[in-house]
Amino acid sequence: MSASQVSETLDAHYWATQMQAVARARDAQSFMRIYDHFAPRLQRYLLGLVKSQAAAEELVQDAMLRVWARAESYDPARANLVTWIFRIARNLYVDRARSEPTWVDVQEGIEQLDAERTEFGMSSAESFNDEMQLLDAINSLPALQARLVRMSYLEAKSHSELADELSMPLGTIKSSLRRAFAKLQSAMRSAP
Amino acid sequence: MNPVHHLDATSLMSHAAGVLPTAFAVVAATHLSVCAQCRAQLALAERIGGVLLGKQEPAATADHAREAMLELIKVPLPEKAAPSAPDRDHSDSLPAPLRPYFGESLSRLPWRFVAPGIRRVAAQREVSGGSLMLLSVAPGKSIPEHTHGKNEMTCILRGAYDDILGHFGPGDLADLDGETTHQPITSPGTPCICVAATDAPLRFKGWLVRTLQPLFNL
Repeated sequence: MSASQVSETLDAHYWATQMQAVARARDAQSFMRIYDHFAPRLQRYLLGLVKSQAAAEELVQDAMLRVWARAESYDPARANLVTWIFRIARNLYVDRARSEPTWVDVQEGIEQLDAERTEFGMSSAESFNDEMQLLDAINSLPALQARLVRMSYLEAKSHSELADELSMPLGTIKSSLRRAFAKLQSAMRSAP
Repeated sequence: MNPVHHLDATSLMSHAAGVLPTAFAVVAATHLSVCAQCRAQLALAERIGGVLLGKQEPAATADHAREAMLELIKVPLPEKAAPSAPDRDHSDSLPAPLRPYFGESLSRLPWRFVAPGIRRVAAQREVSGGSLMLLSVAPGKSIPEHTHGKNEMTCILRGAYDDILGHFGPGDLADLDGETTHQPITSPGTPCICVAATDAPLRFKGWLVRTLQPLFNL
């Protein structure tokens, strides 16, 4: 493991510890450390989706308030904090952008299914060093595949919109994304 | 329930990214609520989102935002039950992801006649990015061969059908693009009830069924 990987792994562990302090003791200082680190990143992410400073600010506030209010439901054995925060922000974005007021509850209900049991011997557990392994795998994707993944997640572009914007057939967009996902999946399977 | 037909990787990634149109996301969520294999895949697709979020260049936040957050967390939290996993065993319950659009009960749906042996219920409220409906097809019935303008996603709730892609039973998901031509034939015994999302009208082949198309209104 490289020095940067060690530092990322320690980071993920650090954030999990901070979050546990919030869950166990409603520790406002730990929460504000989480806020100071993640709110500006959420702001950038949500700006890419909603294109409005005010709308992004409101979503950041709602997402971080949900992190505070729902701290007990964060399970560090199942996901890194950044993935959990991503899910919260994405669910709130869908809820607001499409006026689907039950969206967050329905999606969180589905997530709860695996909190109770794991089937097929497959676990959704995410170890602290997964984040770095996955980032390396994304960075190793061929340029087009990496670009499609980023545009899809960070600009909320549907596959048809990607096809229009890049003047490429929809079939090519989809097969590139399928190959990208298969590579990332295989990289994570072979992760130590 | 042990589904054998699953979400395509592109749909999983779209769902994780929050860009799958609502009609399709509802059908995907219905399948996810019964498919541990796809939930494990979705977890990876969401990790990709987490990693990309973690690597975002921090953006300036408004000066007042931090103070506002400090005030907000001083307010005592309301007592609120944790989200419960959708119940899966009640025979008359619709899957949780469908309830906001079709109500709670499978037996009390306002089915509308479409054609002999085919009934349909449209979502109670409008959804973005396509149409969302429940379909009930009588046992042993053949749906005219058709292609799709763009995409169709179907999840079986009751009964079963067969087409060139195989046998589809409860929990199975057909994630089809505009290239697929298929002619589902429902299994004998019980009606096949499924939830379907389409983003363009189905295109039936043959002049006779084409003239019947307006009747189907799919």
